[in-house]
Amino acid sequence: MLTSGPVVVMEVPEVLNVKEVHSFMEELGPLLESNRPRVVFDCSQVRSMEGAGVEMLLRCLEEVLKRDGDLKLAALSPEAEVILELMRVSRVFETFQNCEDAVRSFNTIPADAVPRDTPWYANVFGDLGVLKQAS
Amino acid sequence: MKGTESVVGAIIISDQVGAVEDKQFPSCVGSCPRPWSTADVLGKAPIARLAADLEGKLCNVVSVIADVPPDGLRSKPSHEALISDLTADRFANYKREGCETVLIVRCGAYVEFDAAEMFSFHQERGLGFTRAFTDDEPLDVWMVDTSGFPEHVPMLSTLLCAQPAMYRSHGYVNPLQTARDFRRLVLDSFHLRCHVRPQGSEVKPGIWICEGAQIERSARVVAPAFIGRDSHISAECLITRGSNVESDSRVDYGTAVEDSSILSNSYVGIGLDLSHSIVDGRHLLNLRHNVNLEITDPAVMRQNTVRRGDRQSWAGIESSPMALSFAE
Repeated sequence: MLTSGPVVVMEVPEVLNVKEVHSFMEELGPLLESNRPRVVFDCSQVRSMEGAGVEMLLRCLEEVLKRDGDLKLAALSPEAEVILELMRVSRVFETFQNCEDAVRSFNTIPADAVPRDTPWYANVFGDLGVLKQAS
Repeated sequence: MKGTESVVGAIIISDQVGAVEDKQFPSCVGSCPRPWSTADVLGKAPIARLAADLEGKLCNVVSVIADVPPDGLRSKPSHEALISDLTADRFANYKREGCETVLIVRCGAYVEFDAAEMFSFHQERGLGFTRAFTDDEPLDVWMVDTSGFPEHVPMLSTLLCAQPAMYRSHGYVNPLQTARDFRRLVLDSFHLRCHVRPQGSEVKPGIWICEGAQIERSARVVAPAFIGRDSHISAECLITRGSNVESDSRVDYGTAVEDSSILSNSYVGIGLDLSHSIVDGRHLLNLRHNVNLEITDPAVMRQNTVRRGDRQSWAGIESSPMALSFAE
């Protein structure tokens, strides 16, 4: 398990059958019970996924959303993509090309997007802010 | 006799010998490798269509040598040799039975050609040996006089090495080497770009349904589409964009099938979204993502227990007891 700040990245096993789902869920269980879990599943190794695997993904999503967190999928292998499309769940998840993008996406407003020297009201009041500064 | 005074026999070899394999999509689908030419396309396999066409027009007798290698014979050279030997034996039989000319077609590719015109060309040239060509390349279609051809020689290699009269064919050709070629043949058939016509009845423009097919009331079939014999389309399903569901298959409740082929005896489960794919039992080839998957969950996809596809593929040539040889 890799962590990147408060976001946890987990590698999904190559084969997601009933047995693998069980052991994966054992590992994942404590995380899902935490407050506001933020999870990324790295699906790059997935080669085969049974119905149980898809159900597990949906169950995980349900659990994290219940706790005000989120679950995102990253680096989907073509096999995983085909199965998720086939099972009609591909649109349920937010997916990303790689884990870095998925982790970054949790910070919806990047800190460096707003210049530090600009007053917070500048954008809100527009010209009014400029007038106040002039006076 | 069918329009000619000579006795003409035909040997159709169902084979992929010499085919350039696509690494991602081999020339066969499913656990039992078989050439695409033996899989049903809109109710009938290309090889069976060719056999029926030849038997109806030019040839007095048609033999099919099918490429069904058992596990022990998977090595290419020995298998090629076996196919070649069977062809030579059948050729010798034809000669003994009084056939003057034999048409030999190696049916990896699907080729449409005018056999009667080729036969006239063959007779006019009088070389005893003619091969069909497109504008670009040779086709695996030969016409050979039994009198001039040596017996008990490796048939295919002799044909490939000889200097024949060149008959120029302008018909439709599909290499049928990959899954994409297979889908292209289905779509070309729907769009009348070749002579393959769906079996069954055209119940609405562009929608063909075969005998025994069941389509539940709330299912939607949007043209062009084909539903094969004894297939079942459950409620709330959608079959569209040039999809074909071949015989004895079932598409279960609420599943959408778009731009896809479901081969004979396949079950596709509940509430799925199948697009740009070919399904053969539990094998799924997705053409958009270039993925070949084996679905292990039988609730999603599986082979139906009824296995009549192979028999159906040879419909029309079964009647002749000596017509069918399997390279086993």
